[in-house]
Amino acid sequence: MKHEDRSEPPSEVGARGGFQPSSGIGSPKPRMPTTATRGAPAQKPGAHDPNETDAVDAALAASGDAHAFERLYRRHINRVHSLVRRMMGEEAEEVTQEVLVHAWQKIGTYRGEAAFGTWLHRVAVNLVLSRRAGRRRWRDRFAENDAEAMELPSKSTVHLAGLDFESAIAALPARARQVFVLHDVEGYRHEEIATMLGVTAGTSKSQLHYARMALRETLG
Amino acid sequence: MTHPQSEHWSDYIDGELPLAEARELETHLEVCGECRRLLNELRGVVARAGALEDRPPRADLWPRVSAQIGVSRRRFVFSMPELLAAGIALMLISGGGVAFLLRDEIGAPVAWIRPEPEPVVRTVATGGGYDAAIGQLQRELAKGRGSLDSSTTRVIEEKLALIDQAILDAERAVAADPGSEYLRAHLTRSRLTKLDLLRRATELTRTIS
Ligand SMILES: [Zn+2]
Repeated sequence: MKHEDRSEPPSEVGARGGFQPSSGIGSPKPRMPTTATRGAPAQKPGAHDPNETDAVDAALAASGDAHAFERLYRRHINRVHSLVRRMMGEEAEEVTQEVLVHAWQKIGTYRGEAAFGTWLHRVAVNLVLSRRAGRRRWRDRFAENDAEAMELPSKSTVHLAGLDFESAIAALPARARQVFVLHDVEGYRHEEIATMLGVTAGTSKSQLHYARMALRETLG
Repeated sequence: MTHPQSEHWSDYIDGELPLAEARELETHLEVCGECRRLLNELRGVVARAGALEDRPPRADLWPRVSAQIGVSRRRFVFSMPELLAAGIALMLISGGGVAFLLRDEIGAPVAWIRPEPEPVVRTVATGGGYDAAIGQLQRELAKGRGSLDSSTTRVIEEKLALIDQAILDAERAVAADPGSEYLRAHLTRSRLTKLDLLRRATELTRTIS
């Protein structure tokens, strides 16, 4: 199988379109704070619907209300920082900060087609991917240049045994880590991941499987 | 024994295989403990990924974020076509309701400066922040309306009248059926549309003047 593995950063998918998450049918339903309804009791009249609350605060923030934006920040920071951290494979708090500033600047383009959390996560993914090239560590570069290692996942490529699950994700080669986080943690589909990363869906599948095989070692 | 390529087990878990191939794999599973174990391990990884706990950054990032957004003022790029697009959205929301203009005694349109009617119901989502924002935008718009030409003014007024009627209808519907999530969402959308329209109209006066 041929692997596309471009060393230049993938194009910033969606950036020009205002960071809109892909909409509608067949697009991923990221496992994210879209609704807080799963497993929750049926909503009582008058109770807060988190999506409605987000939608109102997003509209207020778009008209310049920084307090509304802070409320959005408080509700979403843990999720969005965890996403950034896992995608980057390091704490990367300055990147999370950049995501939030970017979200503030772009919030006027948020039209409420998707849940605010979904939109925000897409902003984060786009930013992380656009920054990737400049921030890759030697380990990633080494691993990504080793196409053979990608073809034939083997335990000799990365050693994850003994690491906790989060650290093991961080220790994966960048591309495998990103695909794994986007697919198995965030719930995006291969087709969409392929577009975001500028690879084929087949490559996305291979990278995902590589990551899963490697991560088995952490589940003793 | 010949085992399927390990990648197929990931495809199998994700439902990415044609049915016939999936059946073949299942037949193999019945006789191969090694592949059963591999499949279980891969499933374990997927389950673990789905159960990850989020955690906050080591330090609160808000002070730094707020410092940065304080100095980078957003600029709206705003155009008449966009305003009209918003108007089309309003038409849809109002369900084809009849447009009407509110006029004061001398016949001047006052739709956007009349005081907010007391809402029949108020969802929690639209609390004081919403009302304050609407009020402020309406004041700003009243101040800046002189900079708009009369046809633009008329379009905005018509749209505002439509959306106000839509909001009123939605409020009544929610009052009649407070348990309906659909109606509550509809009301919120109507109110947000008003906020959006006012925001755009206000921006238009700023852009022009
Ligand atoms: Zn087997």
